[in-house]
Amino acid sequence: MTKVKRLGGTDTGMVFVLPAFLYMMIFVGYPIISNFILSFRDVTVSNLVQGSQKFVGFANYLELFRDSVFRKALSNTLFFTVCCLLLQFVLGFGLALLFHKKFSLAKPLRGITLIPWMVPITVTALIFRLLFATDIGVLNYMLKSAHLISKNIEWLTQPKTAMFALICANVWIGIPFNMILISTGLTTIPQELYESASMDGATRTDAFFKITLPLLRPTIESVLVLGFIYTFKVYDLVYVMTGGGPVNATHMLSTYSYKLSFEMFQYSRGASVANVLFVVLMLVSILYIRITTQGEEEQDDA
Amino acid sequence: MTRKKNMAFSIGMILLIAAFLFPLYWTVNTSLKTEQEIFQNPPTFYPHIRNLQSYKAQVSNGDFNMFRSFGNSFVIALGAMLISVVLAVPASYGIARYRFRGKKFMLLTFLFTQMLPVAVLLTPMFVLFKNLRMYNTWMSTILADATIGIPFSVLILKNYFASIPKDIEEAAYLDGCNKYTAFFRVLIPVAKPGVAVCAIFSFLYAWGDLAYGMTFIIDQQKRPITAGIFNFMGQYGTKWSYLTAFAVVVIIPVAFLFIFMQKYIVSGMTSGAVKG
Amino acid sequence: MNLKKMTAIVLAAALTAGTLCGCGNASGVPGAEETGKADTQDSQAASPKETKDVTIWYYWETEGHQQALSKVIEDYNTSQDDCMVTAKYVPFDDFKKQLSIGASAAELPDIVILDSPDHAAYAQMGIFEDISGKFDVDDYYEGTVNSCTIDGTLYGVPFGVNCLALYYNKDLLDAAGVKPPTTWDELKTAAGKLTTDHVTGIAISSVQNEEGTFNFMPWVWSAGASFDEIDSKGGQKALAFLQSLVQEGVMSSECINWTQGDVVNQFMAGNVAMMENGPWQIPTMQSQAKDLNWGVTLLPKDEEYASVLGGENYAVVKGGNVEGAIAFLEYATQDEQVKYLMEHFGYISADKSIAENQFDADSVYQPFVEQLEYARPRGPLADWPSVSDAISLAFNKVITGGATPEEAAKEAQTTIDGIIR
Repeated sequence: MTKVKRLGGTDTGMVFVLPAFLYMMIFVGYPIISNFILSFRDVTVSNLVQGSQKFVGFANYLELFRDSVFRKALSNTLFFTVCCLLLQFVLGFGLALLFHKKFSLAKPLRGITLIPWMVPITVTALIFRLLFATDIGVLNYMLKSAHLISKNIEWLTQPKTAMFALICANVWIGIPFNMILISTGLTTIPQELYESASMDGATRTDAFFKITLPLLRPTIESVLVLGFIYTFKVYDLVYVMTGGGPVNATHMLSTYSYKLSFEMFQYSRGASVANVLFVVLMLVSILYIRITTQGEEEQDDA
Repeated sequence: MTRKKNMAFSIGMILLIAAFLFPLYWTVNTSLKTEQEIFQNPPTFYPHIRNLQSYKAQVSNGDFNMFRSFGNSFVIALGAMLISVVLAVPASYGIARYRFRGKKFMLLTFLFTQMLPVAVLLTPMFVLFKNLRMYNTWMSTILADATIGIPFSVLILKNYFASIPKDIEEAAYLDGCNKYTAFFRVLIPVAKPGVAVCAIFSFLYAWGDLAYGMTFIIDQQKRPITAGIFNFMGQYGTKWSYLTAFAVVVIIPVAFLFIFMQKYIVSGMTSGAVKG
Repeated sequence: MNLKKMTAIVLAAALTAGTLCGCGNASGVPGAEETGKADTQDSQAASPKETKDVTIWYYWETEGHQQALSKVIEDYNTSQDDCMVTAKYVPFDDFKKQLSIGASAAELPDIVILDSPDHAAYAQMGIFEDISGKFDVDDYYEGTVNSCTIDGTLYGVPFGVNCLALYYNKDLLDAAGVKPPTTWDELKTAAGKLTTDHVTGIAISSVQNEEGTFNFMPWVWSAGASFDEIDSKGGQKALAFLQSLVQEGVMSSECINWTQGDVVNQFMAGNVAMMENGPWQIPTMQSQAKDLNWGVTLLPKDEEYASVLGGENYAVVKGGNVEGAIAFLEYATQDEQVKYLMEHFGYISADKSIAENQFDADSVYQPFVEQLEYARPRGPLADWPSVSDAISLAFNKVITGGATPEEAAKEAQTTIDGIIR
């Protein structure tokens, strides 16, 4: 406790954090507030520029919950996010552990694995569209050659398989992201810990659960919460791969919000969809802050 | 690892990564085919007629000039990276090391500023930049791109700083440092790998950005390289070979940068520094 | 630091941002009535147009199109000293977004070249100048003029037009022994004969957006229905026809993901024998598929011939350099410039007197000029995007088997009635 007190002058901490905080408040805080205000008004094509923008309270939100496409988009977004997060985290973690082993090609291979993360998302989406195409798609061709299917699967034109294809594409982008962050986290764990553990007769599995996981906890929490936020906002990928189709079956909150705002000129409804997205993420983040700062206090007290 | 084991493991990993990167192969493969071959049923695993036209088309198209666009992207990404690092490194240190009132709220701010889809941020940001006289300048996009890099870097770096033993500061104080000089002289050097990761991620976010660059910059001459995607994708549909060639061309510089910087990224802290 | 201090900082930050946005009024509401006006004045005070420049926004990504437009602009710039015209490219996918954002931030160009079905919405928004009586549009196709007219007021000038017709692969048709179809029944029979393991009979872009609606409307009109009467005998028939094409396997259900560009690629690769598409594909097909032996004919009819009117309009933006914009448009709509643009765009002139003599009798473009006689505009309606959305949902539902034509038609009708009442 004494150390913390000596380091922890109240004002010093503020001085370090304040510039970044103010930056974010000015450049993003204001747009967020403005978007909230927009969602409580009724702004459409006829009063965006001229005429009065009536204040309508929660009317936009009430209308949303009667809108079946919105409900579908909400459940899609949750389903998509949870699936992607689990898959990309587990696979990314696995890859990070494999790369952590000291084999001669570890570094160059890890570098190459990052490339999917650098491909413009629009291009990734188009490539996956090509891979998943029914007649000219290589995936169907390979499945057929391996005699796993006899008839081409119409991946992108059926609701369930279209969602599957979206998840595959997103996980493909997400794996390198998870892998590199977990890898960075792994390097902060002192090797001595493992050595002394193995001298004490701990198996590798023991070491993983007793050393790796607990020490990686902050990293894992950050990776998951960032992953959740980024995945929940998914836009380009869905917009290009399925456009929310077939028949609105793969709309996400972000694509639906965009469609309402910029394709159908229903600005306020679009803003309210985005705010629902915001509120869900807010809840997740508050949970994250609770968990992480609690951990910190425990540590400090120890 | 023994030599034999190392061999086997390396081969296994090569196969695994090759399978994982199959879509990248398909991108290159597609970029070298003619449009007709791309739409051939069944698909071809290598281009039967090689088409290099797609790569020639990358250099310029109407108002678009590839080299100039690369330059623009570089300036934008570098600018966003600098702002992110300069602001996020101290912020993450403050959060990791100090306790002060409002800390939870500030941490939450870094998260909740990430929570709106970019599309709804565009209009208010546009108004902001217009009034700052920054509309149609690189600065607008740099400032906007930094709003992605900062929170990301804060969240990742705070863990990094937290994992550095507090003895390091103690030692610095004994050497006559105050809180600020200790941070600059001792902690930043120790946290270098973490800072490098954040710098590179901030750079890449800005490099890959399309929405901000397209919305806040209206002159094709000032737009980033990602804008080039619209040369091959628009009202008249998608020119697949050109588009995939575009992807290959855009990825190459960042891929080299990344693979080259790799050894700094995950090199880890020297154990000496950690022990203090 | 206590909570009060914190709140003060947050408020200060938000206020700073607010002031920067010119929204320092008590409510701090952006885009509210008074700020909206203030913004407009502000922008004019802030960026005085010293030289009377004219800026144009357009969305053509093709190099040939960009060069043709630049040529006309350069010629105009060298022909006079008053005004310098520059064109800015805004991608098609971003165009509506950029216009919406520009409208709420009072940062728009002086001329917009936009997709004709969106014209009514922006005119309704009040960002376009009334140019009634300033241009002679008597010779123009009626539908094109309608697309930029609201309540008798002219808010734009047609740039060029196009419409959809039926392309067919001559070799595949000959091999199957079928003639180009002229009626729906013939079309279905022909498509059936043309379908093999690697070829589907016909492709119609059916994406769930404006592009899909564009391709679907000719069938609705041909069956005697209209956009506000989807739940009618004709509307149901059009939906049922599309559904039967997919169910009988003569059209791929992937059409719901195929843009017109994808469709033409499939056609050029020989994967589809017939397609519904527009004349702007001709230059691409001529350069990329030299060996392909193809022809164009009118879209097959049910009760009457029909097609859909596409193309762009010029619009002059309110509050900008209106005089300069009109002067440029007067130049650009002269016969010589129109002919140059149309030729290099692969477009048909919106001016009937030019269009009729634009092509040789044997040109592949000629069927499109004929088809244009039967082409109708979408709307014009400020709420067209919402109506279009309801229609595209309907044909997507029947194609994927999510609804019967009757159900889909009824649902679309309810939505449309709710929009236009």
